Amino acid sequence: MTKHVVNTLCLGWLIVAGGCVETDRSFSQPTSLDAQVRQSLQQWAVVPINPPPAQNPALVALGQALLFDKELSGNRDIACATCHTPATAMGDGQSLAVGTGGTGVAPSRTLGPSRQFVPRNAPTLLNTAIGLPYVFWDGRVTGFGGQFQTPAGAALPPGLPNILAVQAMFPVTNRTEMRGEPGDTDVFGKPNELAQYNDSQWVDIWQAVMRRLLAIPGYQSLFAAAFPGIPSTQLGFGHAATAIAAFETQSLTRLDTPFDHYLRHDDNALTAEEKRGAILFFGKATCSSCHNGPQLGTGNFTDVGVPQIGPGVGPEPPLDLGRGALPDNEFYRFAFRVAPLRNVELSAPYFHDGAYPTLDAVVRHYNDVGVALTAFDSTQLAPDVRATYHGDPATVAGVLQQLDGRLRQPLRLSEAERAELVAFLKALTDPAARNLSALAPASVPSGLPVR
Amino acid sequence: MARHWSVLLLPLSLALGTRVSAQIIPVRNIPLAQGDQFAIFPSANSGMGGVSLALVDSLLDPFRNPAMGARVGAARLFSAPTVYGISRESGGGRTLPLAVLGRAGPWFGGFLGAIQEVDFSGPMPSQIIAFGPRVPGPIPSGAPGSGDRSHGNAYLFGSLGRTLSGGSLSVGGSVLWSHLRAVSGVDLLYPGSQGLAQSGHQLDLRLGLLKEWPGSRSLEALVLHDRFSMTDDVGYLDLFWDAGTQQFVQVPRTEHNLDRVTTTGVHVAYQMPLAASGWRIGWIGTVNVDRQPRIAPDEVVTLPRDQGHSTAYDVGVGFSKKAGPSTFGIDAIYEPIWSTTWVVASAPVVTALGDTISEGGRTSENRFRFSNVVLRLGLSQDVPLADMKQGIGLELGLAVRSMHYRLIAQDHLAGTTQPFRNSWVEWSPAWGVSLRFPGLELRYRGRITNGTGRPTEFGFISGPLNASFPGNVLLAPDTSLNFAGVTTVTHQISLSLPLR
Repeated sequence: MTKHVVNTLCLGWLIVAGGCVETDRSFSQPTSLDAQVRQSLQQWAVVPINPPPAQNPALVALGQALLFDKELSGNRDIACATCHTPATAMGDGQSLAVGTGGTGVAPSRTLGPSRQFVPRNAPTLLNTAIGLPYVFWDGRVTGFGGQFQTPAGAALPPGLPNILAVQAMFPVTNRTEMRGEPGDTDVFGKPNELAQYNDSQWVDIWQAVMRRLLAIPGYQSLFAAAFPGIPSTQLGFGHAATAIAAFETQSLTRLDTPFDHYLRHDDNALTAEEKRGAILFFGKATCSSCHNGPQLGTGNFTDVGVPQIGPGVGPEPPLDLGRGALPDNEFYRFAFRVAPLRNVELSAPYFHDGAYPTLDAVVRHYNDVGVALTAFDSTQLAPDVRATYHGDPATVAGVLQQLDGRLRQPLRLSEAERAELVAFLKALTDPAARNLSALAPASVPSGLPVR
Repeated sequence: MARHWSVLLLPLSLALGTRVSAQIIPVRNIPLAQGDQFAIFPSANSGMGGVSLALVDSLLDPFRNPAMGARVGAARLFSAPTVYGISRESGGGRTLPLAVLGRAGPWFGGFLGAIQEVDFSGPMPSQIIAFGPRVPGPIPSGAPGSGDRSHGNAYLFGSLGRTLSGGSLSVGGSVLWSHLRAVSGVDLLYPGSQGLAQSGHQLDLRLGLLKEWPGSRSLEALVLHDRFSMTDDVGYLDLFWDAGTQQFVQVPRTEHNLDRVTTTGVHVAYQMPLAASGWRIGWIGTVNVDRQPRIAPDEVVTLPRDQGHSTAYDVGVGFSKKAGPSTFGIDAIYEPIWSTTWVVASAPVVTALGDTISEGGRTSENRFRFSNVVLRLGLSQDVPLADMKQGIGLELGLAVRSMHYRLIAQDHLAGTTQPFRNSWVEWSPAWGVSLRFPGLELRYRGRITNGTGRPTEFGFISGPLNASFPGNVLLAPDTSLNFAGVTTVTHQISLSLPLR
């Protein structure tokens, strides 16, 4: 009997021992909000941003003066900061920008007689120095690896340090924004000499602006301090643009957001609602399929079904074809740059033409783009902009035809989820960006009014 | 830093190890392979699957309960070099202990010293499927432990006891001090890390009692207190977008993680012969109370160990049968365990329902209810040689541990409650060969542990798993885990020499 038991046990043991296997298995555990969020962050390459290095103070001082000085405009009636004003987080708070000839200050600036809106919204200048590969809503200025592509082609002066400086070269050349129309006179009644050049005379326009600036003693000293060793005869508008970029880099980089604290491993930086919103942002709401990477955007162009508003850009006015209006970019018809999202709470109204006044409205749009575009309520636009809304069926159909495939089905976000998504978007705000009034100088070298 | 789903910080001892068997009840909620790092003591029964409830383990008993040293006769020298390895190149370790047990009159005691080397567990499961950038290149300096593949530990054990009441009652006390610089598998708990520097200690204090009656009846009792304290400096390489150079850059970061667990326990065991010839029966009962204190914020914690406590019980019965040169033993133990961990708010926080949780209030709670079962059975056969003073012993054994738990996870911030159930089975075939000579015993023991695993790279682990270890851990990794099954193979050679 004992022998039988022993034999049985031995046999059993051998069977068990022979069954040694390496069994893979999945093990479910409660998944925390933080775990979900951080998994998404890794998946979408959302990493913290080290701010750019401190800029040369003399460059920053020159750039500040230039950004706020209307001397750069043909009619001496508009500065960069007119549409990128500290009061509205370095945007203008209006759907479409009002360029030269306009009156008032943002966000209540109005068109001048016989003027038309700038075709697109004035985007915020906040955080433009964190490494954007494209600038302007249609990305017509690009910068990769120190190489820039711009509408100016070979006319662009060499040596520009970054894409921000390249971008700063162009508003002064745009008739609607700053340069004015032939026959215009400036605020002093003098002829607008900048407006006499053809649009393709880039170098002449820039040289003319520099002649104005260097005629002002205050700028002579500011340029000398910012560019010591460079004779004034060798100063070009590229130097001015470099200074403007330095100011933007130094003063408008605002990354101290709750979200950035969270990226730096502070789990308490976001509330539970914001974390749930983040999970939606990186998941169900599909926002991160475009708004990804360190900047949460800027890497691509897409048609998200935004209502067509404004005078239009491209060969089919009044339609704004977006990037599709650029040569050889028909594929991008109605596609616009995916905007970076830090401080998005402060940069209303939203999209390339400021179609929506609130983040909630934006999220509702994304929730069902087809319905939102078809039933767009133009009364949410300012009255003068409302008249430029193009809601005819053909236009709507054209935009929807090109709609990004990821948005062709409704997201089906509940009201609570929409609120959580908005809460997350508001966690992208640097509190210091809420009040930028200290950025405006009391005066500028030209003596023109700052406001 | 606070998480919603807290971490389980529960005692984890080696499920099938010998050092803490029965007295410290392991509590684990994932089948993480841990190796046999703490199997530093010699054992006569490990080749029989570790059966012990109705069988005397002449080598191990004096280390489990210092009063059991009363059974030691002449002074002896022990050594039990142990090597273990985890498959898939997931780690391993080597231990060289040296021990002396002896007695002088009514006094008895022992000493053990051991040195140990524990290997790095292998590649970190950090390469998660992602669309994000990968930045190759050398690891910047500053990441602790980078490049180190193994670290050494040291153990010191001392016991002293005295026989009272004419020899039927013995009492004893022991101290085990473990200086730890490596705990097997802990590196896996920091996915994505580039290096780990561990340091800490474990202090195990025991007071034991042994009462023996004529007829081979015995009662043993033990009170233990175990303090585990580890500091893990974990090196990470964080990826940043550098706005100045407009490139991704790696920046080293060190997390300083503290792990503190205390365990207090009471254990009783009783053995007696059954009426039937050669049969014995034994019972055990154990209570462990584990506490995971909240680590104060000023103690620099980037990975908080959630507060928690657990109460673990075991009750078991074992039988053994000795028939001539053959010995058979079987143990069955049931372990009901209740455990709770929680996270507290460091500042008032508004919940999804609009309520406010004040500072110090619980933002989440995990309530576990474990129902674990351990079965061990073993068989040994002595084969006398020559003049009966020499012999060969053969042993076979099997230990099976079934883990099952139900978890109620409450997220007070989200206002949600989620139930979870998990279970797994670990089994360890064991074997042994003994050579007995006059005054000398040479034993070999082997064991393969199956049913455990190591986290894989496809587990989407986004952060530290929040586990601590050795004599105590476990955690609720707050994410889903995938485990690659591994086996742990342990070999131990023990030598026992009389000291003349």
